[in-house]
Amino acid sequence: MSESRKPIKKTRYINPYLGGVLLGLVLIAANFVSGRGLGASGAAKSAVVATVNTVAPGHAENAQFFREYNASHPQGPMKAWLVFQMLGVIVGAFLSGAIFNRLKFKVEHSPKITSKRRIIFAVIGGILFGFGSQLGRGCTSGSALSGMGVLSLGGFISMAFIFGTAFALAWFFRKNWI
Amino acid sequence: MKPRLYLALIIIPLGLILAAVPANTTHPYKLSPQDLLEHVNSGMQYFSPDEVAHMLVSKDPSLVLIDVRSEDEYEKFHLPGAINIPLSSMLEDQWKDYINQDLRYNVFYSNGTVNSNQAWMLTRQLGYQNNYVLQGGLNYWVETIINPTAPPSTSPDEEIAKYDFRKGAGQALGGGAVVESSTQPAPALPKIAPRPKKKRVEGGC
Amino acid sequence: MGPLIINDIISQNTNFFLAFIIGIGFGFVLESSGFSSSRKLAGMFYGYDTVVLKVFFTAALVAMVGLLFMSLFNWIDLDMVYINPTYLWSTIIGGAIMGAGFITGGFCPGTSFCAASIGKIDAIFFIGGMFLGIVIFAEAYPLLEPLYKGSFKGTPTLPQALGLKDGVVVLGIIIVALGMFWVGEWAEKKFPREEY
Repeated sequence: MSESRKPIKKTRYINPYLGGVLLGLVLIAANFVSGRGLGASGAAKSAVVATVNTVAPGHAENAQFFREYNASHPQGPMKAWLVFQMLGVIVGAFLSGAIFNRLKFKVEHSPKITSKRRIIFAVIGGILFGFGSQLGRGCTSGSALSGMGVLSLGGFISMAFIFGTAFALAWFFRKNWI
Repeated sequence: MKPRLYLALIIIPLGLILAAVPANTTHPYKLSPQDLLEHVNSGMQYFSPDEVAHMLVSKDPSLVLIDVRSEDEYEKFHLPGAINIPLSSMLEDQWKDYINQDLRYNVFYSNGTVNSNQAWMLTRQLGYQNNYVLQGGLNYWVETIINPTAPPSTSPDEEIAKYDFRKGAGQALGGGAVVESSTQPAPALPKIAPRPKKKRVEGGC
Repeated sequence: MGPLIINDIISQNTNFFLAFIIGIGFGFVLESSGFSSSRKLAGMFYGYDTVVLKVFFTAALVAMVGLLFMSLFNWIDLDMVYINPTYLWSTIIGGAIMGAGFITGGFCPGTSFCAASIGKIDAIFFIGGMFLGIVIFAEAYPLLEPLYKGSFKGTPTLPQALGLKDGVVVLGIIIVALGMFWVGEWAEKKFPREEY
Protein backbone atom coordinates (compact mmCIF):
# COMPACT_ATOMS: atom_id res chain seq x y z
CA MET A 1 0.00 0.00 0.00
CA SER A 2 2.54 2.57 -1.00
CA GLU A 3 0.83 5.67 -2.16
CA SER A 4 2.98 8.46 -3.49
CA ARG A 5 2.70 11.42 -1.18
CA LYS A 6 3.60 14.15 -3.63
CA PRO A 7 0.39 15.43 -5.22
CA ILE A 8 -2.18 15.61 -2.46
CA LYS A 9 -5.55 16.21 -3.95
CA LYS A 10 -8.58 17.45 -2.08
CA THR A 11 -10.73 14.57 -3.26
CA ARG A 12 -9.38 11.75 -1.15
CA TYR A 13 -12.45 11.61 1.03
CA ILE A 14 -16.12 11.66 0.17
CA ASN A 15 -17.99 14.94 0.42
CA PRO A 16 -18.63 15.67 4.11
CA TYR A 17 -22.30 16.48 3.57
CA LEU A 18 -22.78 13.20 1.74
CA GLY A 19 -20.94 11.46 4.59
CA GLY A 20 -23.22 13.21 7.07
CA VAL A 21 -26.37 12.13 5.26
CA LEU A 22 -25.14 8.53 5.13
CA LEU A 23 -24.19 8.62 8.81
CA GLY A 24 -27.63 10.02 9.64
CA LEU A 25 -29.25 7.13 7.76
CA VAL A 26 -27.12 4.64 9.72
CA LEU A 27 -28.25 6.34 12.93
CA ILE A 28 -31.90 6.11 11.87
CA ALA A 29 -31.41 2.42 11.07
CA ALA A 30 -29.95 1.81 14.52
CA ASN A 31 -32.92 3.52 16.17
CA PHE A 32 -35.42 1.73 13.95
CA VAL A 33 -33.96 -1.72 14.53
CA SER A 34 -32.93 -1.52 18.14
CA GLY A 35 -34.44 1.62 19.61
CA ARG A 36 -31.01 3.05 20.37
CA GLY A 37 -28.25 5.03 18.80
CA LEU A 38 -24.67 4.28 17.92
CA GLY A 39 -21.78 4.10 20.35
CA ALA A 40 -18.20 3.23 20.91
CA SER A 41 -16.99 3.62 24.48
CA GLY A 42 -19.65 1.20 25.74
CA ALA A 43 -17.93 -1.55 23.80
CA ALA A 44 -14.61 -0.55 25.36
CA LYS A 45 -16.23 -0.75 28.79
CA SER A 46 -17.55 -4.23 27.97
CA ALA A 47 -14.05 -5.30 26.98
CA VAL A 48 -12.58 -3.90 30.20
CA VAL A 49 -15.18 -5.65 32.36
CA ALA A 50 -14.72 -8.92 30.48
CA THR A 51 -10.95 -8.69 30.98
CA VAL A 52 -11.27 -8.00 34.69
CA ASN A 53 -13.81 -10.83 35.07
CA THR A 54 -11.32 -13.23 33.53
CA VAL A 55 -8.04 -11.94 34.93
CA ALA A 56 -9.13 -10.95 38.42
CA PRO A 57 -12.53 -12.52 39.19
CA GLY A 58 -12.08 -11.80 42.89
CA HIS A 59 -11.65 -8.12 42.19
CA ALA A 60 -14.70 -8.13 39.91
CA GLU A 61 -16.76 -9.40 42.84
CA ASN A 62 -15.41 -6.91 45.33
CA ALA A 63 -15.19 -3.65 43.40
CA GLN A 64 -18.52 -1.90 43.27
CA PHE A 65 -18.26 -0.79 39.64
CA PHE A 66 -17.79 -4.31 38.30
CA ARG A 67 -20.36 -5.77 40.69
CA GLU A 68 -23.04 -3.34 39.53
CA TYR A 69 -22.13 -3.85 35.88
CA ASN A 70 -22.21 -7.63 36.11
CA ALA A 71 -25.47 -7.56 38.05
CA SER A 72 -27.13 -5.53 35.32
CA HIS A 73 -25.69 -7.65 32.50
CA PRO A 74 -26.58 -11.25 33.37
CA GLN A 75 -25.69 -12.43 29.88
CA GLY A 76 -22.09 -11.33 30.32
CA PRO A 77 -20.37 -8.14 29.25
CA MET A 78 -19.52 -9.22 25.72
CA LYS A 79 -23.05 -10.15 24.72
CA ALA A 80 -23.96 -6.54 24.19
CA TRP A 81 -25.35 -4.66 21.22
CA LEU A 82 -22.48 -2.20 21.18
CA VAL A 83 -19.86 -4.94 21.11
CA PHE A 84 -21.31 -6.38 17.91
CA GLN A 85 -21.73 -2.91 16.47
CA MET A 86 -18.09 -2.10 17.26
CA LEU A 87 -16.86 -5.26 15.55
CA GLY A 88 -18.80 -4.04 12.52
CA VAL A 89 -17.13 -0.63 12.76
CA ILE A 90 -13.69 -2.21 12.61
CA VAL A 91 -14.68 -4.27 9.55
CA GLY A 92 -16.40 -1.29 7.87
CA ALA A 93 -13.47 1.04 8.38
CA PHE A 94 -11.07 -1.61 7.07
CA LEU A 95 -13.21 -2.06 3.95
CA SER A 96 -13.26 1.67 3.33
CA GLY A 97 -9.52 1.88 3.88
CA ALA A 98 -8.99 -0.97 1.43
CA ILE A 99 -11.27 0.50 -1.24
CA PHE A 100 -9.78 3.99 -1.05
CA ASN A 101 -6.24 2.66 -0.72
CA ARG A 102 -5.48 3.98 2.76
CA LEU A 103 -4.27 0.84 4.54
CA LYS A 104 -0.87 1.67 5.94
CA PHE A 105 0.93 1.35 9.26
CA LYS A 106 2.02 4.78 10.35
CA VAL A 107 2.04 7.28 13.18
CA GLU A 108 0.31 10.39 11.94
CA HIS A 109 1.68 13.58 13.42
CA SER A 110 2.48 17.16 12.63
CA PRO A 111 5.96 17.58 11.08
CA LYS A 112 6.84 19.82 14.03
CA ILE A 113 6.67 17.02 16.60
CA THR A 114 8.19 13.55 16.91
CA SER A 115 6.32 10.28 16.73
CA LYS A 116 7.16 9.70 20.36
CA ARG A 117 5.52 12.93 21.44
CA ARG A 118 2.47 12.13 19.34
CA ILE A 119 2.11 8.72 20.96
CA ILE A 120 2.50 10.10 24.48
CA PHE A 121 -0.24 12.63 23.79
CA ALA A 122 -2.41 9.94 22.21
CA VAL A 123 -2.18 7.86 25.39
CA ILE A 124 -2.99 10.86 27.60
CA GLY A 125 -5.92 11.75 25.36
CA GLY A 126 -7.12 8.16 25.48
CA ILE A 127 -7.02 8.10 29.28
CA LEU A 128 -8.98 11.34 29.47
CA PHE A 129 -11.51 10.16 26.92
CA GLY A 130 -11.94 6.78 28.59
CA PHE A 131 -12.48 8.38 31.97
CA GLY A 132 -14.72 11.17 30.68
CA SER A 133 -16.89 8.85 28.62
CA GLN A 134 -17.68 6.77 31.70
CA LEU A 135 -18.46 9.80 33.84
CA GLY A 136 -20.50 11.44 31.08
CA ARG A 137 -22.32 8.20 30.17
CA GLY A 138 -21.16 8.09 26.59
CA CYS A 139 -18.74 9.57 24.12
CA THR A 140 -19.05 11.74 21.05
CA SER A 141 -20.99 9.12 19.12
CA GLY A 142 -23.02 7.56 21.91
CA SER A 143 -24.01 10.58 23.92
CA ALA A 144 -23.54 13.61 21.71
CA LEU A 145 -24.42 12.37 18.20
CA SER A 146 -27.02 9.75 19.08
CA GLY A 147 -28.43 11.98 21.80
CA MET A 148 -28.83 14.89 19.41
CA GLY A 149 -30.45 12.59 16.85
CA VAL A 150 -33.28 11.87 19.31
CA LEU A 151 -33.25 15.50 20.57
CA SER A 152 -32.13 14.48 24.06
CA LEU A 153 -31.17 17.38 26.31
CA GLY A 154 -28.24 15.37 27.64
CA GLY A 155 -26.94 14.91 24.09
CA PHE A 156 -26.86 18.66 23.46
CA ILE A 157 -25.15 19.31 26.81
CA SER A 158 -22.42 16.77 26.17
CA MET A 159 -21.90 18.01 22.62
CA ALA A 160 -21.54 21.57 23.87
CA PHE A 161 -19.03 20.64 26.56
CA ILE A 162 -16.93 18.25 24.47
CA PHE A 163 -16.47 20.71 21.63
CA GLY A 164 -16.46 23.78 23.87
CA THR A 165 -13.58 22.45 25.99
CA ALA A 166 -11.66 21.29 22.95
CA PHE A 167 -11.98 24.75 21.36
CA ALA A 168 -10.99 26.42 24.61
CA LEU A 169 -7.84 24.32 24.92
CA ALA A 170 -6.97 24.29 21.20
CA TRP A 171 -4.53 27.19 21.44
CA PHE A 172 -2.30 25.35 23.95
CA PHE A 173 -1.94 22.31 21.73
CA ARG A 174 -1.62 24.03 18.37
CA LYS A 175 1.94 22.81 17.84
CA ASN A 176 0.78 19.19 17.94
CA TRP A 177 -1.58 19.58 15.03
CA ILE A 178 -0.85 22.46 12.69
CA MET B 1 -23.91 24.48 -6.99
CA LYS B 2 -22.33 23.81 -3.65
CA PRO B 3 -23.31 20.69 -1.73
CA ARG B 4 -24.15 22.87 1.26
CA LEU B 5 -26.85 24.62 -0.76
CA TYR B 6 -28.27 21.31 -1.96
CA LEU B 7 -28.49 20.19 1.63
CA ALA B 8 -30.16 23.45 2.64
CA LEU B 9 -32.66 23.22 -0.21
CA ILE B 10 -33.77 19.77 0.89
CA ILE B 11 -33.62 20.01 4.64
CA ILE B 12 -35.16 23.46 5.25
CA PRO B 13 -38.50 22.56 3.59
CA LEU B 14 -38.55 19.30 5.55
CA GLY B 15 -37.95 21.27 8.74
CA LEU B 16 -40.75 23.67 7.82
CA ILE B 17 -43.14 20.75 7.33
CA LEU B 18 -42.18 19.31 10.71
CA ALA B 19 -42.66 22.67 12.38
CA ALA B 20 -46.07 23.10 10.77
CA VAL B 21 -47.69 19.69 11.30
CA PRO B 22 -48.91 18.65 14.74
CA ALA B 23 -46.71 16.07 16.46
CA ASN B 24 -47.84 12.48 16.39
CA THR B 25 -48.94 11.59 19.87
CA THR B 26 -50.62 8.29 19.14
CA HIS B 27 -48.68 5.30 20.28
CA PRO B 28 -48.76 2.29 18.04
CA TYR B 29 -47.52 0.31 21.04
CA LYS B 30 -50.62 -0.93 22.79
CA LEU B 31 -51.03 -3.79 25.13
CA SER B 32 -53.73 -6.13 23.93
CA PRO B 33 -56.00 -7.67 26.58
CA GLN B 34 -54.61 -11.10 25.61
CA ASP B 35 -51.06 -9.93 26.27
CA LEU B 36 -52.07 -8.54 29.62
CA LEU B 37 -53.88 -11.71 30.62
CA GLU B 38 -50.91 -13.81 29.60
CA HIS B 39 -48.66 -11.57 31.65
CA VAL B 40 -50.89 -11.82 34.70
CA ASN B 41 -51.18 -15.60 34.40
CA SER B 42 -47.47 -16.10 34.09
CA GLY B 43 -46.92 -14.22 37.36
CA MET B 44 -44.07 -12.33 35.78
CA GLN B 45 -44.99 -9.15 37.58
CA TYR B 46 -44.18 -10.48 41.04
CA PHE B 47 -41.19 -10.07 43.31
CA SER B 48 -41.26 -12.55 46.18
CA PRO B 49 -40.77 -11.24 49.75
CA ASP B 50 -37.52 -13.22 49.89
CA GLU B 51 -36.16 -11.45 46.83
CA VAL B 52 -37.12 -8.07 48.21
CA ALA B 53 -35.67 -8.89 51.63
CA HIS B 54 -32.44 -10.00 49.98
CA MET B 55 -32.19 -6.74 48.05
CA LEU B 56 -33.03 -4.68 51.13
CA VAL B 57 -30.46 -6.43 53.29
CA SER B 58 -27.77 -6.07 50.64
CA LYS B 59 -28.81 -2.42 50.08
CA ASP B 60 -29.26 -3.10 46.39
CA PRO B 61 -29.58 0.32 44.73
CA SER B 62 -31.65 -1.07 41.88
CA LEU B 63 -34.66 -1.67 44.15
CA VAL B 64 -37.27 1.03 44.67
CA LEU B 65 -40.18 0.13 46.93
CA ILE B 66 -43.34 2.08 46.22
CA ASP B 67 -46.11 2.11 48.79
CA VAL B 68 -49.39 2.62 46.91
CA ARG B 69 -51.54 2.88 50.04
CA SER B 70 -52.84 6.15 51.43
CA GLU B 71 -50.55 8.64 53.13
CA ASP B 72 -51.96 7.80 56.59
CA GLU B 73 -51.25 4.12 56.23
CA TYR B 74 -47.78 4.91 54.93
CA GLU B 75 -47.09 7.10 57.97
CA LYS B 76 -48.14 4.28 60.31
CA PHE B 77 -45.90 1.65 58.80
CA HIS B 78 -43.91 1.21 55.66
CA LEU B 79 -41.06 -0.94 54.48
CA PRO B 80 -37.57 0.51 54.91
CA GLY B 81 -36.73 3.04 52.18
CA ALA B 82 -40.16 2.87 50.56
CA ILE B 83 -41.60 5.95 48.91
CA ASN B 84 -45.30 6.73 48.99
CA ILE B 85 -47.25 7.12 45.75
CA PRO B 86 -50.93 6.62 46.60
CA LEU B 87 -52.75 4.80 43.84
CA SER B 88 -55.20 7.67 43.45
CA SER B 89 -52.46 10.13 42.56
CA MET B 90 -50.33 7.78 40.51
CA LEU B 91 -50.90 9.52 37.21
CA GLU B 92 -49.87 12.95 38.43
CA ASP B 93 -46.94 14.44 36.60
CA GLN B 94 -44.71 14.55 39.66
CA TRP B 95 -44.47 10.74 39.75
CA LYS B 96 -43.82 10.21 36.07
CA ASP B 97 -40.05 10.05 36.44
CA TYR B 98 -40.43 7.43 39.17
CA ILE B 99 -42.73 5.03 37.39
CA ASN B 100 -41.45 5.53 33.83
CA GLN B 101 -37.74 4.76 34.01
CA ASP B 102 -35.33 2.11 32.89
CA LEU B 103 -32.73 2.11 35.63
CA ARG B 104 -34.29 0.36 38.59
CA TYR B 105 -36.90 -2.17 39.63
CA ASN B 106 -39.98 -0.52 41.07
CA VAL B 107 -41.86 -2.85 43.39
CA PHE B 108 -45.39 -1.77 44.29
CA TYR B 109 -46.94 -2.99 47.50
CA SER B 110 -50.16 -2.55 49.44
CA ASN B 111 -51.71 -4.54 52.29
CA GLY B 112 -52.92 -7.30 50.01
CA THR B 113 -52.15 -7.27 46.32
CA VAL B 114 -55.33 -5.69 44.96
CA ASN B 115 -54.14 -2.08 44.91
CA SER B 116 -50.59 -2.89 43.94
CA ASN B 117 -51.83 -4.99 41.04
CA GLN B 118 -54.00 -2.10 39.91
CA ALA B 119 -50.97 0.16 40.00
CA TRP B 120 -49.03 -2.36 37.98
CA MET B 121 -51.87 -2.68 35.47
CA LEU B 122 -51.91 1.10 35.00
CA THR B 123 -48.22 1.26 34.28
CA ARG B 124 -48.46 -1.67 31.86
CA GLN B 125 -51.19 0.08 29.92
CA LEU B 126 -48.99 3.14 29.65
CA GLY B 127 -46.21 0.97 28.31
CA TYR B 128 -43.87 1.68 31.24
CA GLN B 129 -41.33 -0.99 32.04
CA ASN B 130 -39.62 -2.26 35.16
CA ASN B 131 -42.61 -2.08 37.47
CA TYR B 132 -43.40 -5.07 39.66
CA VAL B 133 -45.61 -6.15 42.55
CA LEU B 134 -44.63 -7.49 45.95
CA GLN B 135 -46.08 -10.98 46.03
CA GLY B 136 -48.78 -11.30 48.66
CA GLY B 137 -48.44 -7.71 49.81
CA LEU B 138 -47.59 -6.61 53.35
CA ASN B 139 -49.72 -9.37 54.89
CA TYR B 140 -47.61 -12.05 53.34
CA TRP B 141 -44.45 -10.05 54.12
CA VAL B 142 -45.31 -10.18 57.82
CA GLU B 143 -46.02 -13.89 57.58
CA THR B 144 -42.79 -14.77 55.82
CA ILE B 145 -40.20 -12.19 56.82
CA ILE B 146 -41.27 -10.66 60.11
CA ASN B 147 -42.80 -13.77 61.75
CA PRO B 148 -41.55 -16.73 59.77
CA THR B 149 -42.74 -20.17 60.87
CA ALA B 150 -39.97 -22.64 61.48
CA PRO B 151 -40.05 -25.58 59.14
CA PRO B 152 -40.09 -29.06 60.68
CA SER B 153 -36.59 -30.24 61.49
CA THR B 154 -36.92 -32.98 58.91
CA SER B 155 -37.14 -30.42 56.10
CA PRO B 156 -34.45 -30.26 53.45
CA ASP B 157 -31.51 -27.98 54.16
CA GLU B 158 -32.72 -25.29 51.77
CA GLU B 159 -35.91 -24.87 53.76
CA ILE B 160 -33.93 -24.44 56.99
CA ALA B 161 -31.56 -22.01 55.33
CA LYS B 162 -34.50 -20.02 53.98
CA TYR B 163 -36.00 -19.86 57.43
CA ASP B 164 -32.72 -18.70 58.94
CA PHE B 165 -32.42 -16.01 56.30
CA ARG B 166 -35.96 -14.83 56.86
CA LYS B 167 -35.45 -14.66 60.58
CA GLY B 168 -32.23 -12.70 60.21
CA ALA B 169 -33.72 -10.40 57.59
CA GLY B 170 -36.82 -9.85 59.70
CA GLN B 171 -34.73 -8.70 62.62
CA ALA B 172 -32.51 -6.54 60.44
CA LEU B 173 -35.47 -4.91 58.79
CA GLY B 174 -37.31 -4.00 61.99
CA GLY B 175 -38.79 -7.26 63.18
CA GLY B 176 -41.85 -7.28 65.34
CA ALA B 177 -43.39 -4.23 63.72
CA VAL B 178 -47.12 -4.52 63.74
CA VAL B 179 -48.94 -4.15 60.50
CA GLU B 180 -52.55 -3.24 60.31
CA SER B 181 -53.82 -6.42 58.82
CA SER B 182 -56.65 -5.93 56.42
CA THR B 183 -59.79 -7.94 56.93
CA GLN B 184 -59.43 -10.08 53.89
CA PRO B 185 -57.52 -13.32 54.36
CA ALA B 186 -54.21 -13.57 52.55
CA PRO B 187 -55.04 -14.50 48.99
CA ALA B 188 -53.73 -17.58 47.31
CA LEU B 189 -50.26 -16.77 46.12
CA PRO B 190 -49.55 -16.64 42.44
CA LYS B 191 -46.50 -18.38 41.16
CA ILE B 192 -43.45 -16.37 40.24
CA ALA B 193 -41.84 -16.59 36.87
CA PRO B 194 -38.20 -15.77 36.26
CA ARG B 195 -37.54 -12.07 35.92
CA PRO B 196 -38.16 -11.04 32.31
CA LYS B 197 -35.45 -9.21 30.47
CA LYS B 198 -35.66 -5.48 30.47
CA LYS B 199 -37.40 -4.47 27.35
CA ARG B 200 -36.23 -0.96 26.92
CA VAL B 201 -32.73 -1.33 25.66
CA GLU B 202 -29.84 -0.06 27.63
CA GLY B 203 -28.02 2.77 25.98
CA GLY B 204 -24.81 4.50 26.73
CA CYS B 205 -21.83 4.77 24.55
CA MET C 1 -43.75 -1.00 13.90
CA GLY C 2 -40.33 0.16 15.02
CA PRO C 3 -38.20 -0.19 17.03
CA LEU C 4 -38.13 -3.76 15.83
CA ILE C 5 -36.50 -5.38 18.85
CA ILE C 6 -38.79 -3.74 21.38
CA ASN C 7 -41.93 -4.79 19.56
CA ASP C 8 -40.57 -8.33 19.28
CA ILE C 9 -40.47 -8.29 15.49
CA ILE C 10 -36.93 -9.62 15.44
CA SER C 11 -35.11 -11.95 17.82
CA GLN C 12 -32.21 -11.08 20.09
CA ASN C 13 -29.72 -12.80 17.81
CA THR C 14 -31.04 -11.06 14.70
CA ASN C 15 -30.64 -7.83 16.64
CA PHE C 16 -26.97 -8.59 17.30
CA PHE C 17 -26.45 -9.52 13.66
CA LEU C 18 -28.04 -6.24 12.54
CA ALA C 19 -25.85 -4.44 15.06
CA PHE C 20 -22.86 -5.84 13.21
CA ILE C 21 -24.24 -4.69 9.84
CA ILE C 22 -25.07 -1.24 11.21
CA GLY C 23 -21.55 -1.11 12.63
CA ILE C 24 -20.09 -1.82 9.20
CA GLY C 25 -22.07 1.11 7.81
CA PHE C 26 -20.95 3.32 10.70
CA GLY C 27 -17.28 2.41 10.29
CA PHE C 28 -17.36 2.73 6.52
CA VAL C 29 -18.91 6.19 6.60
CA LEU C 30 -16.54 7.43 9.33
CA GLU C 31 -13.46 6.20 7.51
CA SER C 32 -14.48 7.37 4.06
CA SER C 33 -15.36 10.83 5.43
CA GLY C 34 -11.82 11.12 6.79
CA PHE C 35 -12.46 10.49 10.49
CA SER C 36 -9.54 8.07 10.61
CA SER C 37 -7.06 10.95 10.48
CA SER C 38 -6.38 12.70 13.76
CA ARG C 39 -4.96 15.79 12.09
CA LYS C 40 -8.09 16.11 9.99
CA LEU C 41 -10.26 15.73 13.10
CA ALA C 42 -8.20 18.27 15.03
CA GLY C 43 -8.50 20.68 12.11
CA MET C 44 -11.97 21.39 13.40
CA PHE C 45 -10.50 23.31 16.32
CA TYR C 46 -8.16 25.45 14.21
CA GLY C 47 -10.54 26.15 11.35
CA TYR C 48 -8.46 24.52 8.63
CA ASP C 49 -10.73 21.51 8.25
CA THR C 50 -14.31 21.49 9.51
CA VAL C 51 -15.25 18.05 8.27
CA VAL C 52 -16.18 17.00 11.83
CA LEU C 53 -18.67 19.83 12.12
CA LYS C 54 -20.23 19.10 8.73
CA VAL C 55 -20.50 15.34 9.05
CA PHE C 56 -21.56 15.42 12.67
CA PHE C 57 -24.29 18.01 12.32
CA THR C 58 -25.55 16.80 8.95
CA ALA C 59 -25.93 13.34 10.48
CA ALA C 60 -27.76 14.71 13.50
CA LEU C 61 -30.09 16.78 11.27
CA VAL C 62 -30.86 13.84 8.99
CA ALA C 63 -31.54 11.60 11.99
CA MET C 64 -33.81 14.15 13.71
CA VAL C 65 -35.80 14.90 10.59
CA GLY C 66 -35.95 11.25 9.54
CA LEU C 67 -37.08 9.97 12.93
CA LEU C 68 -39.77 12.65 13.28
CA PHE C 69 -41.13 11.84 9.82
CA MET C 70 -41.10 8.12 10.61
CA SER C 71 -43.02 8.90 13.77
CA LEU C 72 -45.58 10.88 11.75
CA PHE C 73 -46.11 7.86 9.51
CA ASN C 74 -46.36 5.59 12.59
CA TRP C 75 -43.32 3.62 11.50
CA ILE C 76 -41.58 4.08 14.81
CA ASP C 77 -42.74 4.82 18.34
CA LEU C 78 -40.35 7.48 19.58
CA ASP C 79 -41.48 6.86 23.16
CA MET C 80 -39.78 3.49 22.98
CA VAL C 81 -36.50 4.86 21.66
CA TYR C 82 -33.71 5.21 24.17
CA ILE C 83 -33.21 8.80 25.29
CA ASN C 84 -30.09 9.14 27.35
CA PRO C 85 -30.88 10.33 30.86
CA THR C 86 -29.61 13.73 31.89
CA TYR C 87 -27.38 13.76 34.95
CA LEU C 88 -26.42 17.40 34.78
CA TRP C 89 -23.05 17.63 36.49
CA SER C 90 -21.61 14.30 35.45
CA THR C 91 -22.53 15.13 31.84
CA ILE C 92 -20.90 18.55 32.05
CA ILE C 93 -17.71 17.40 33.78
CA GLY C 94 -17.49 14.23 31.71
CA GLY C 95 -17.96 16.30 28.56
CA ALA C 96 -15.23 18.74 29.57
CA ILE C 97 -12.80 15.88 30.29
CA MET C 98 -13.65 14.32 26.94
CA GLY C 99 -13.02 17.66 25.23
CA ALA C 100 -9.57 17.81 26.80
CA GLY C 101 -9.01 14.23 25.64
CA PHE C 102 -10.10 15.14 22.14
CA ILE C 103 -7.61 17.98 21.73
CA THR C 104 -4.69 16.04 23.28
CA GLY C 105 -5.42 12.66 21.71
CA GLY C 106 -6.95 13.76 18.43
CA PHE C 107 -9.53 11.00 18.36
CA CYS C 108 -12.77 10.08 19.98
CA PRO C 109 -13.47 6.43 20.79
CA GLY C 110 -15.36 5.61 17.58
CA THR C 111 -12.86 7.26 15.27
CA SER C 112 -9.90 5.70 17.10
CA PHE C 113 -11.20 2.20 16.30
CA CYS C 114 -11.62 3.24 12.64
CA ALA C 115 -8.11 4.65 12.51
CA ALA C 116 -6.62 1.61 14.25
CA SER C 117 -8.27 -0.72 11.77
CA ILE C 118 -6.54 1.00 8.83
CA GLY C 119 -3.18 0.88 10.59
CA LYS C 120 -2.74 4.17 12.48
CA ILE C 121 -0.37 3.31 15.30
CA ASP C 122 -1.21 6.43 17.32
CA ALA C 123 -4.84 5.28 17.37
CA ILE C 124 -3.82 1.93 18.86
CA PHE C 125 -2.07 3.79 21.67
CA PHE C 126 -5.14 6.00 22.10
CA ILE C 127 -7.30 2.88 22.51
CA GLY C 128 -4.83 1.53 25.08
CA GLY C 129 -5.11 4.80 26.98
CA MET C 130 -8.89 4.63 26.76
CA PHE C 131 -8.95 1.20 28.41
CA LEU C 132 -6.69 2.56 31.11
CA GLY C 133 -9.02 5.52 31.61
CA ILE C 134 -12.01 3.20 32.03
CA VAL C 135 -10.09 1.11 34.58
CA ILE C 136 -9.19 4.28 36.50
CA PHE C 137 -12.85 5.29 36.50
CA ALA C 138 -13.88 1.82 37.67
CA GLU C 139 -11.39 1.87 40.54
CA ALA C 140 -12.34 5.39 41.60
CA TYR C 141 -16.05 4.61 41.21
CA PRO C 142 -16.92 4.55 44.92
CA LEU C 143 -15.50 8.08 45.22
CA LEU C 144 -17.21 9.33 42.08
CA GLU C 145 -20.58 7.73 42.69
CA PRO C 146 -22.26 10.78 44.25
CA LEU C 147 -21.25 12.87 41.23
CA TYR C 148 -22.08 10.08 38.78
CA LYS C 149 -25.56 9.45 40.14
CA GLY C 150 -26.32 12.97 41.37
CA SER C 151 -28.35 15.79 39.78
CA PHE C 152 -30.59 13.37 37.91
CA LYS C 153 -33.01 15.29 35.71
CA GLY C 154 -34.96 12.42 34.15
CA THR C 155 -34.84 11.94 30.41
CA PRO C 156 -35.95 15.27 29.00
CA THR C 157 -35.57 16.19 25.37
CA LEU C 158 -34.52 19.64 24.27
CA PRO C 159 -38.04 20.54 23.04
CA GLN C 160 -39.49 19.47 26.40
CA ALA C 161 -36.94 21.56 28.25
CA LEU C 162 -37.73 24.59 26.10
CA GLY C 163 -41.46 23.91 26.11
CA LEU C 164 -41.63 23.94 22.31
CA LYS C 165 -42.90 21.52 19.71
CA ASP C 166 -40.34 19.01 18.35
CA GLY C 167 -40.68 20.28 14.78
CA VAL C 168 -40.08 23.91 15.75
CA VAL C 169 -36.90 23.05 17.64
CA VAL C 170 -35.68 20.92 14.72
CA LEU C 171 -36.26 23.82 12.31
CA GLY C 172 -34.27 26.05 14.64
CA ILE C 173 -31.41 23.54 14.81
CA ILE C 174 -31.41 23.23 11.01
CA ILE C 175 -30.99 26.98 10.62
CA VAL C 176 -28.27 27.18 13.28
CA ALA C 177 -26.43 24.23 11.75
CA LEU C 178 -26.55 25.68 8.22
CA GLY C 179 -25.18 28.92 9.64
CA MET C 180 -22.32 27.00 11.25
CA PHE C 181 -21.59 25.20 7.97
CA TRP C 182 -21.32 28.57 6.27
CA VAL C 183 -18.89 29.82 8.94
CA GLY C 184 -16.94 26.57 8.64
CA GLU C 185 -16.50 26.90 4.90
CA TRP C 186 -15.47 30.50 5.35
CA ALA C 187 -12.86 29.42 7.92
CA GLU C 188 -11.52 26.74 5.60
CA LYS C 189 -10.93 29.42 2.96
CA LYS C 190 -9.32 31.71 5.49
CA PHE C 191 -6.96 29.12 6.98
CA PRO C 192 -6.22 26.87 4.02
CA ARG C 193 -4.06 23.80 4.59
CA GLU C 194 -3.42 20.83 2.44
CA GLU C 195 -5.40 17.77 3.38
CA TYR C 196 -3.70 15.26 5.62
